[in-house]
Amino acid sequence: MESAIEIRDLRKSYGDVQALDGVDLTVPEGSFFGLLGPNGAGKTTFINVLVGLVRGTDGDARVFGHDVQEEYREVRDRIGLAPQEFNVDRFFPIREVLEHKAGYHGIPKARASERTEEVLKRVGIYDKRDTRFDWLSGGMKRRFMLARALITEPDLLILDEPTAGVDVQLRHELWETIIDLNQRGTTILLTTHYIEEAERLCDEVAILDSGRVLDVASPEELMDRGTDDVVVQLREEPTAVPDFAALDERVDAVELDGTRLVVTARQGGLVAPDVVRRLDDAGHEIVDLEIQRTSLEEVFVEMTRAGEGRATPEVSSQ
Amino acid sequence: MRFDSTGFLALLRREVLRFLRRPRNTFLPPFITNVLYFSVFGVILGERINEIAGVPYILFILPGLVVLGAISNAFENTSFNIFHGRWNRYIEEVLTSPLSYQTMVGAYVLAAAIRGAIVGILIALIGAFFTAVGVVQPLYLVAFGVVITTLFASLGVIAGLWADDFDDLTMLNQFILRPLVFFGGVFYSLNELPETVQQVSLLNPMIYMVNGVRYGFLGVSEVDPNASLAVLSALTVAVLGLDIALFQRGYGLTD
Repeated sequence: MESAIEIRDLRKSYGDVQALDGVDLTVPEGSFFGLLGPNGAGKTTFINVLVGLVRGTDGDARVFGHDVQEEYREVRDRIGLAPQEFNVDRFFPIREVLEHKAGYHGIPKARASERTEEVLKRVGIYDKRDTRFDWLSGGMKRRFMLARALITEPDLLILDEPTAGVDVQLRHELWETIIDLNQRGTTILLTTHYIEEAERLCDEVAILDSGRVLDVASPEELMDRGTDDVVVQLREEPTAVPDFAALDERVDAVELDGTRLVVTARQGGLVAPDVVRRLDDAGHEIVDLEIQRTSLEEVFVEMTRAGEGRATPEVSSQ
Repeated sequence: MRFDSTGFLALLRREVLRFLRRPRNTFLPPFITNVLYFSVFGVILGERINEIAGVPYILFILPGLVVLGAISNAFENTSFNIFHGRWNRYIEEVLTSPLSYQTMVGAYVLAAAIRGAIVGILIALIGAFFTAVGVVQPLYLVAFGVVITTLFASLGVIAGLWADDFDDLTMLNQFILRPLVFFGGVFYSLNELPETVQQVSLLNPMIYMVNGVRYGFLGVSEVDPNASLAVLSALTVAVLGLDIALFQRGYGLTD
């Protein structure tokens, strides 16, 4: 399968500040790819290199096989970008802003008008088509940013914090739209502070910190690297429990508090049956069992902790 | 990839609509200013001034006022729109599109030149209200009109990319453009100046523009119109080339 994005040793410096420090990354075509990182990690710089708003200092950046500088027209024709900052022409009604954008991509006026209607309906702000951007509510502005990115029917949709500051309902609506696009074959590159967003949506995520890619894996794989809690509620308080840590190397800790036993282990879902069996064998009656999985957020914080001081971790969940 | 006419026309249309839809900012000010110029300099003072180069004073100043209005508006259109787009970042809508840099520059410049031409025509019509205005050399008038509006639209691109603040644009207009125009033979004949000042004045490019347009309207010029047209055309091509190079380098546009 062709790579939607192929990055090799990409560097960008601003004076002494190394915004991108040798980034290597491959985003497969058709994937839903997340880019996670604390503030200042280089996420927006990375995106801006792809669309030509930032010039890399060194390295190679390709989109669908085209060099982002040498073949910028081919690259930009295939990208739809919804940036975090509102960079919209506020002089024209939003309908015309979309028609203009479509025109820059070579879409004839009649078709551009049709597409404008379609995308405004799709994101639910068609009745605001003759309104200027400034007069839209915050949520509508976010919807419009998505509409503008979609107007050219891009093969690669880049969403930089697309749900920042929007309410839960709208966030879910936007997710549905994006998922639908991905299922129809559009490659999605998503940056987000909402870890749950990446956990739910992305096939793969790259953790970026201080201009470097720390890891690339699926959210599941990353979460497997964290520790889960297997919480067992016993009928009676035991005098002793099996030494799970000695019996299974995946177990990190065992804590007994009255009738409540907590086994902290990697891959808790796989460890839990063993815990239950051993407790049963030892004659303990189990009344409740719960596996508290580690979150991607916890893994993320752990991975970027080493970068503290260089950047400011700022993650939030809903 | 070949020239993208659809993209070019989309950007051109946007930039033309931007000035057509705010006539109070784009056409009303030159209208009022030039009514005042013609009233005061042409009628009230002009009646006390003898003919210059064989034409009444009001007719003598008309080409200069046309040049002043046309180039100021062409310059303002590109410089303001590009700077404003950078300031509010909506220029990124264009920069992230597949338009070639030549197409971007071409659309910005042509839109601004059209605005300059419209203002120039408006001023000529205002002049025609005050006095009989003829066009002795229509081809020269059109040629000079096209070249000078394109030249100043192209210079406006550089200003729009260079400026860090709105004050920078005001400074360029008030302290460089207007003095050059006022000392460019709009209101007086070069022959009325001392020899040394005449020679210095010939370094002012406005002299050639004002005289070129004057040649178009009146058939009189204090400098060779063909040489002026050739030099101004070459300068326009050079500045356009510089505009494209600056866009390619991302000067003022990319980090």
